Amino acid sequence: MDDLLKEYLPILMFFAVAVGLSIVIVVASMVVVPSHPDAEKLSAYECGFEAFDDARGRFDVRFYLVAILFIVFDLEVAFLFPWAVSLGKIGMLGFWSMMVFLGILTIGFIYEWKKGALEWE
Amino acid sequence: MANPHDYATAAPEIFLALAAMALLMLGVFRGNRSTRSLCWLAVASFAIALLLVFQAPAERSVSFAGMYVADSFTAFVKAMVLIASGAGLIMSMGYIRDEGMARFEYPVLFMLATLGMMMMVSANDLIALYMGIELQSLALYVIAAFQRDSLRSTEAGLKYFVLGALSSGMLLYGCSLIYGFTGATGFDAIAVALKGQEHAGIGLIVGIVFLCAGLAFKVSAVPFHMWTPDVYEGAPTPVTAFFAVAPKIAALALFMRALIVPFLAISADWQQIIIVISIASMLLGAFAAIWQDNIKRLMAYSSIGHVGYALIGLAAGSTEGVRGVLVYLAIYLAMNVGTFACILCMRRKTGMVEGVSDLAGLSKSNPMMALALAIFMFSMAGIPPLGGFFGKFYVFIAAMNAELYALAVIGVLASVVGAFYYLRIIKVMYFDEPGEPFEGPMSVEMRAIIGLCSIVVVFFAFYTAPFVASAEVAAAALVP
Amino acid sequence: MAEFWSIYLLPGIIILAQILAIVVPLLLAVAMLTYFERKIMAAMQLRMGPNVVGPFGLLQAFADGAKLFFKETVLPTSANKIVFLIAPMLTFCLSLVAWAVIPFDDGMVVSDINVGILYLFAISSLGVYGIVMAGWASNSKYPFLSALRSAAQMVSYEVSIGFVIITVLLCVGSLNVSDVVRAQAEGVWFFIPLFPMFIIFFISALAETNRHPFDLPEAEAELVAGYQVEYSSMTFALFFLGEYANMILMSGLTAILFLGGWLPPFDIAPFNWIPGPIWFFLKISVLLFVFVWVRATLPRYRYDQLMRLGWKVFLPFSLFWVALTAGVLVAFDLVPQT
Repeated sequence: MDDLLKEYLPILMFFAVAVGLSIVIVVASMVVVPSHPDAEKLSAYECGFEAFDDARGRFDVRFYLVAILFIVFDLEVAFLFPWAVSLGKIGMLGFWSMMVFLGILTIGFIYEWKKGALEWE
Repeated sequence: MANPHDYATAAPEIFLALAAMALLMLGVFRGNRSTRSLCWLAVASFAIALLLVFQAPAERSVSFAGMYVADSFTAFVKAMVLIASGAGLIMSMGYIRDEGMARFEYPVLFMLATLGMMMMVSANDLIALYMGIELQSLALYVIAAFQRDSLRSTEAGLKYFVLGALSSGMLLYGCSLIYGFTGATGFDAIAVALKGQEHAGIGLIVGIVFLCAGLAFKVSAVPFHMWTPDVYEGAPTPVTAFFAVAPKIAALALFMRALIVPFLAISADWQQIIIVISIASMLLGAFAAIWQDNIKRLMAYSSIGHVGYALIGLAAGSTEGVRGVLVYLAIYLAMNVGTFACILCMRRKTGMVEGVSDLAGLSKSNPMMALALAIFMFSMAGIPPLGGFFGKFYVFIAAMNAELYALAVIGVLASVVGAFYYLRIIKVMYFDEPGEPFEGPMSVEMRAIIGLCSIVVVFFAFYTAPFVASAEVAAAALVP
Repeated sequence: MAEFWSIYLLPGIIILAQILAIVVPLLLAVAMLTYFERKIMAAMQLRMGPNVVGPFGLLQAFADGAKLFFKETVLPTSANKIVFLIAPMLTFCLSLVAWAVIPFDDGMVVSDINVGILYLFAISSLGVYGIVMAGWASNSKYPFLSALRSAAQMVSYEVSIGFVIITVLLCVGSLNVSDVVRAQAEGVWFFIPLFPMFIIFFISALAETNRHPFDLPEAEAELVAGYQVEYSSMTFALFFLGEYANMILMSGLTAILFLGGWLPPFDIAPFNWIPGPIWFFLKISVLLFVFVWVRATLPRYRYDQLMRLGWKVFLPFSLFWVALTAGVLVAFDLVPQT
């Protein structure tokens, strides 16, 4: 436990340094520089027009689709990590189990491909 | 347990999984026009899986490090599940074609749901249990919302999904508590850990309560029944028919195994839970259905009631009780499939109708269908000598022998109340003024299913003895 | 007191010194990278490039930085102020903290954790948050569109990066970053047996850092400056620093995974005189040159082409290669035993 903490302490400190540095950079600039905001300066940029409406409107459903597919495949990568590292210890059974899993995944992939989930135009 | 990875134990499931994937590929390359042939291929796969189930040796075999079990109990239940799924799929074919929802995913989802149910039945470990339940549930959520253009269907799917996710959460929470307090996830290992104990500690009891809550949701027992009427009403009718039978059978089987095998030593503790659930379900099923005009909603409440009766057998916790549940479920299967086949034939030119009043005068316009429906209704009410009577009879006997007299008495009273609304349907069919008749001749498949189911229900009295004997063997495999 | 000094304070100061020894040169490297990028591109386009500030214009980047520093920080009225400010800080922080597990030589690493690769993978996948937060918090149309595109693009290529890393791990048998390099010391550098994966990784790194030819999130012709439209002064500078630090990080990762990290190309006399960190630096420099070279050479991808490449080419190919690598390793009994 102690060793584990010792290994991760530098990472924590690294985080602290990075966060501190970024705050210092932004705040220092804000403090040093005189600020003269006005309504035009603070409005959202839209090629010189007044902003038409709220920017957070509807967007293409395909972005959701990509997000969902990403979760599926990223989870699978997460499964593969421990498998790849311990392949030497789990033998043929481990190898073939993962191959079956990948096979099932490939079938899902073919399905989504043929259904057009990957089409963008 | 000579071989920890004996694939033969799971042969039907492995076959079904491969078949489902093959069908998915076939469907995605050939498009929706192949839906009908895919449906038949799926039914054929169910048949082959059924053969594999029967071919397996009768003695208990455990594999995958004790997570998976096959014995005569699983064989009995899996046979029912496969028959129910096959019948559900056959009933769907005409409907999905007429309603424009004949997409090729439909049979594949049926197969995946059935695969999940078979895994539930064979689960011998809390993790395997969860795997099975999720596989089944995820497929069912999609099937419930399969009629994408229908607001009701989409709503049903979403409702089912949200509440199902909640119940899965409770189930998992219960599993983790049980694991925490017994130190094992395998049913056999938990049983060993609890050997010799009279009563469970409070932590374990909380875990069992959560497990029961999650499972009660899946069998739609009171107080976790709220989703049932809405989902049954909103989902496409053949899907409702499927929902009402196969998942219930699988979930009840799982309920029995998950309580009896690991927790037999402390049965006094969980029996109270089951008794309360059972009484509440029977009463709610009997009273709430009286005011229903939509026949699918009525069937939803009816199924809640039936689950209540079946749970009587589980409350008894004996071989006799399990036998009673199995017999009950088998008859429930025949009655419900038959009834839903009739409901699926309620089609007018304007589309499907679902009101009880639409059945008015059916005895004049379609006497055969009216007769069949009357048989099913009488049977559900538990009138001898029809099948439904025997189902109730065996669970009540088990309750009496387990000295659960109050439970048995309430059960009898509830079925008297329940008889009222079943008989009301018969009255509407035979004595009300005829309305517009239903459309067209029924398809051959529907006739076959209705005919078969009514034969099973009517003549059950003649083969009660051998059937009950095989249920006895199955029950003996579960209860030591 | 002495105990407190020796157990807590001294190691803490040493770690802090190590961290600063990485961060300060890194920021300098970013400044130099922007200068060299402009110089190289100018040379490729037969221009002079920056040559006024300092000798050969070497101080150009610092002049730019000073100019940015003395600009007003604009917080748009419609923006969510907190998220708007956190987004660039997040991008910047993530591009720094990943360096905690990068070994510059055998043992020359701030934190030698046993799941270093996993840590890097996690940090790099968090990078998308900075951009999504910026795009959403700005509450302006161009940043919003850019953030959507960018999120979809980054997650798409992250999947193939994941698979590529898996193939390397199969050959290493450990998640420790130093072990990855050590495994290459015993055999060949992994870019030889895993050459296609090397290419995929590098191209995915281009997409992951939103660089040409995959710079659609900032496609200036259509989205002005993408998710940075509403940013000014040091908030903009943090994005800028973060992006370039990420480029250096991805080059470093490529060097570690495929080009033998700190190892000399041949373990013979003139080569192994040069210390490891120099080799590592050289490899990163070459890769960064390729980054710039690609920018100067290739036109931008269309969005559908980009997604097609990620999902329909890289993903199936890298998935296949994972199976192939594992199969070959198992079949010929080459699986590393650790």
